[in-house]
Amino acid sequence: MLRPVLWIHGEALGPANPALVAHPGAPAVFVFDRDLIVQADLSLKRLGFLYECLLELPVTLRHGDGAEEVLTFARRHGADGVVTSAAVDPRFEALRERIAAQLPVQVLEPEPFVELPEPLDLGRFSRYWRRAEPALWARAGAAAPPVPARRWDR
Amino acid sequence: MRSGDSLPPGDLPRQFASRTELQATLRQLFPEAAGDLSPIRGGRQAAAAALAAIDPGAYGRSRNHLDGAVTRLSPWIRHGVLSLVEVREEVFAWLERSGQPPQAAAKLINELGWRDYWQRLWRQLGDGIWRDREPLKTGHAPEHYANALPADLLEARTGLACMDGFVQELHTTGWLHNHARMWLASYVVHWRRVRWQAGARWFLQHLLDGDPASNNLSWQWVASSFSSKPYLFNRDNLERFSSGRYCRVCRAATDGTCPFDASYEQLQAALLGAPSC
Repeated sequence: MLRPVLWIHGEALGPANPALVAHPGAPAVFVFDRDLIVQADLSLKRLGFLYECLLELPVTLRHGDGAEEVLTFARRHGADGVVTSAAVDPRFEALRERIAAQLPVQVLEPEPFVELPEPLDLGRFSRYWRRAEPALWARAGAAAPPVPARRWDR
Repeated sequence: MRSGDSLPPGDLPRQFASRTELQATLRQLFPEAAGDLSPIRGGRQAAAAALAAIDPGAYGRSRNHLDGAVTRLSPWIRHGVLSLVEVREEVFAWLERSGQPPQAAAKLINELGWRDYWQRLWRQLGDGIWRDREPLKTGHAPEHYANALPADLLEARTGLACMDGFVQELHTTGWLHNHARMWLASYVVHWRRVRWQAGARWFLQHLLDGDPASNNLSWQWVASSFSSKPYLFNRDNLERFSSGRYCRVCRAATDGTCPFDASYEQLQAALLGAPSC
């Protein structure tokens, strides 16, 4: 991709966003998704918080259909593709597919909190933590300290 | 919005003289969205200030108290303004600066692990996070739970100072302490017998850190569709971790009508049905 635009979504509104890191200065867009806002009946508090986060990022703000707005923005800038960052929300994949039907989309992975081999047993937190905790503390050059589990912690 | 803005058609404004002006503009842009702005500000500057103020040691000692040294980083983490990696590194840097042993930061690292765990589960389950992960262990069939939240709860007039206080805080600020979330969720599901999905949707409307995975799976933990037994609490527990702030001003706490003023054995007998297996 020579002239990409960046699609910024609500899981990556900070400087660690790998699309912003990889393409500083490229035109970027965030879309307030009309359907999502109405279906989830989001309060003004939530939208205002998002808006204030976005005002500190170099990004154009739009309101409408998520995929259509990204494609319109890409056309406006004569882009040959869209770069974004991976998201967990399943809505992301549906939008990505709709955009990718018309323009190449590159999805960059953010740095993981902890790298763990797959497959990982996620049946209960304790099973995940048995694998994650030693790996995390190894990063800090320390052995995992014991943490007593207390039921009302979660 | 400022008249000096010359934006391409359809681009939303980015310049505001004040938060009042921002709020007025948002009301025009999103007329369906209820309420006011939260006193908690979005943005990297506010996030960086909150991150610089964390005290992992105090957090570990006091996090379950409403007045405890919780970080309040969750809204910025949820939207990636702060990454979990960044917070993890800040915690490790704090350990190095303070000369404390790893144990001092273990609880906060553990809590960041919960966030990572919920996200990994969401990736695996997708929209399945809206369905019971396991059968309820409450002794009540799913159809015996109401689909909608009761009006007295939504209007913060249950007459229980704690629950009404939590509802007001949720609606006004968009943030609740984790323990308050658990008490409120338990009250909704087990005392009012409402489906956890109704409560989860309500929280997502208001919580600035509203993340479907963390939120729904925690509601399921309370409800017992993602845990081995339902989460119940009693007055002793709430009074202790809220330093009595609600019970002191609550009529139900003195006139003998507090529904939480009982032992766990009594609450289980009153709220849970016969085991289904």
